[in-house]
Amino acid sequence: MKKISRNSSFIVTFSIVFIFMLIATKFFNNDAWFLAIFFYLSSGLVFFTYTISKKTPGKYLLPGVLLLSLFQIYPAFYSGLVAFTNDSNGHQLSKEQAIAAIIQDSKVPVDTSEPITYQTFKESDTGEISIAFQYPKGVTWIGNSNYVKKIDVVGSISRLAGFELINSEQSANYADALQNIKIDLDSGVTLEPLDFQTLEASQPTFTLNAQTDELTNIQSGETYVPNDNGQMVSTSGEILYPGWKVNVGWRNFTSIISDKEIRRPLLAVVVWTFTNAFLLVLVSFLMGLTLALIFNFPQLRSKKIYRTLFIIPMAIPSVLSVLVWSGLFTTETGVIDRMFHISTPWLTHPLWARVAVLIVELWSTFPYMFLITTGAIQAIPADIIEAAEIDGASNLKSFRLIKLPLVVRTVSPLLVASVAMALNNFGAIYLLTGGGPTFSNSNGNAGATDILISYTYKLAFNSQEGNNYGLASALSILNFILVGAISIYGLRKMKTMEGIN
Amino acid sequence: MIKVMRLNNKAAKFWFKKILWRHLVGLAVGAFSLFPLVWMISAAFDVTGQISTQQLIPLHRGLDNFQQLFSSTGKPYLTWGRNSLVVAFSAAAMQVVIGALAAYSLSRHRFKGRRFTLTTILIVQMFPQLLAATTLFLIINTFGKSFAFLGLGHQLPLILIFGGAALGVNTWMLKSFFDTLPTEIDEAAKIDGAGHFEIFLKIIIPLATPVFVVTFLLSLIGILNEYLITSVILGLDSKNMTVAVGLQQFIYGQYGKNWGPFTAGALIATIPVMALFIFLQKHLVSGLVSGSTKG
Repeated sequence: MKKISRNSSFIVTFSIVFIFMLIATKFFNNDAWFLAIFFYLSSGLVFFTYTISKKTPGKYLLPGVLLLSLFQIYPAFYSGLVAFTNDSNGHQLSKEQAIAAIIQDSKVPVDTSEPITYQTFKESDTGEISIAFQYPKGVTWIGNSNYVKKIDVVGSISRLAGFELINSEQSANYADALQNIKIDLDSGVTLEPLDFQTLEASQPTFTLNAQTDELTNIQSGETYVPNDNGQMVSTSGEILYPGWKVNVGWRNFTSIISDKEIRRPLLAVVVWTFTNAFLLVLVSFLMGLTLALIFNFPQLRSKKIYRTLFIIPMAIPSVLSVLVWSGLFTTETGVIDRMFHISTPWLTHPLWARVAVLIVELWSTFPYMFLITTGAIQAIPADIIEAAEIDGASNLKSFRLIKLPLVVRTVSPLLVASVAMALNNFGAIYLLTGGGPTFSNSNGNAGATDILISYTYKLAFNSQEGNNYGLASALSILNFILVGAISIYGLRKMKTMEGIN
Repeated sequence: MIKVMRLNNKAAKFWFKKILWRHLVGLAVGAFSLFPLVWMISAAFDVTGQISTQQLIPLHRGLDNFQQLFSSTGKPYLTWGRNSLVVAFSAAAMQVVIGALAAYSLSRHRFKGRRFTLTTILIVQMFPQLLAATTLFLIINTFGKSFAFLGLGHQLPLILIFGGAALGVNTWMLKSFFDTLPTEIDEAAKIDGAGHFEIFLKIIIPLATPVFVVTFLLSLIGILNEYLITSVILGLDSKNMTVAVGLQQFIYGQYGKNWGPFTAGALIATIPVMALFIFLQKHLVSGLVSGSTKG
């Protein structure tokens, strides 16, 4: 029995190792080096851990650690790499691909004195459609998108071994095949059918000099050389698109400080990120604590009903509830404004938008605070409170001197985690206000309620100036560092790290 | 106040002084917490489909919004629902299984690097995955070039991404529960010749089933609430979206805000989640609270 299960575990291990090797090889062939290395290493680790190694902890930790490395640590590391590049719209190709694209895009029709005619042929065996033509005059070719070859023919082409001539009346039946034909000759000239009889010849305006790494415009004679931002640029400063991805060193980071259009909104964003997080945690903690004190009252009946009512916000998928809130906050005609007979520019005025964000965040976090503070209050040993009462401490005094410090001490690690969460509360802000109202002349449309993560998202995926992955990654890293520093500082202060056992 | 003083009945006096205002606070806070839900329901059954101008009890009631929800072209609600279920259930299951394996080892085995692992997990938890959304997008894009089914617009990479967060999400909670299970049972089983995996399978798992339910639910809700990574990975093709991402099309659409079908769809999506939550609230609450009191 044991032997069978052993054999089957060997089979499972070996198939996983095999699959990882296959995946790695495919990545290797597609030049995805990091992923290839990761999967080669993983397959080795899987093999080692489940066959050779005698240590049991590894067998339980490996699946989690591998996934963690691939989808949390590797992205963090990759952010680090991207942050030092100019990866953005128009800078995503490699240099070779970008130059090939420039040449391809620069094709213009070649002036030929008389039209280039062609004849359609069908290969007898395969039914494949080819065309035969002369270019330049006197040199005959046959081919289609997949191949082209020179043939020796004198005079007009009407018969070719292995091919069947299709006359012009019938060629309409092959319109689809003909439309897709595109022949690239070695001279750089491209030929495409214009109608059922003639071809259009086009030729790139740019030629690449591989030795000097220069592009030359044959028509104007202008030369273009690569600059350090991954673009081909002429002496007069004209830039060719697309560009390619290059390392730009610290430029993304320095631009955060030096570029006025980034720096100004970013400063406001950072200030609001922290104000929002600390204010929210403070207010919702106080609200939760007050409610916990009010409802931790033995003689009060129907406590359970209230608790159920209070945790409703946790039970509604927040993406949906935030969107409903955004409807309720509509100015003048919205439910809230009509209820209080006011006309408040919620969502369009910077201050009111911030208030609205805080209200919605408070709504979604106070239940959690209520639950954890209730738990903490109930965990206070009854004899401590009694002893205080016997010593003649007033209610207020016993709360201030005994209950509050004990509660704060118990929930403080959770408060630190709450601050960390609030610093990255993307959903509430992005879905409620979209980060707006937008500041004027800011890079990437930063707005009054934008926090770092939502601003980063806008830069990366939603920017009018084109998506800038490099800058977004640099900001992610700053965010990583800020949130991490605060969390670690908070936890140190709370001494939670010492309690690990 | 004067009326209260006149009452000589001690119990009534106590009720007025200590209980009444608590009920009033409870009702006020309850109203606050129900506020968006009430309006969601009201808008869902209001045939005029306007959340902004509507009344609490709609003047024109009907099921038009639900009909519109299920018949909108290009907005396949049922497909979104299926996508949400597939992603949330598989990813939550993955998070629980991976978390449980790691937690078992961290709770029961003593090894070099154990403290380091626990601390690392705690810190990694502080760096939410969504910070790396930009790079996850680029990585999944690279995946897709080699394996189409692992690329953008597919559910598998999303499930794997959430599975990758498993260690940070569940391990601590599960470990502190496993710590409360007496080790004597393990010892006895070990003497009877059980291996470490048998102990995990036959002793720990049955004993920990309630806490697995709680972690599974918390993971499930967490994944259903996730917006940024989901929308970035699943992309703009309507048929790949989840409910949370897809429903937005009704209110960010080019024909203005269409609150009727949005609230109808939101209501349908909310009911099962809320029912689960209320049904299992005792376990969930004790799970969260024990997290707070045990540190």
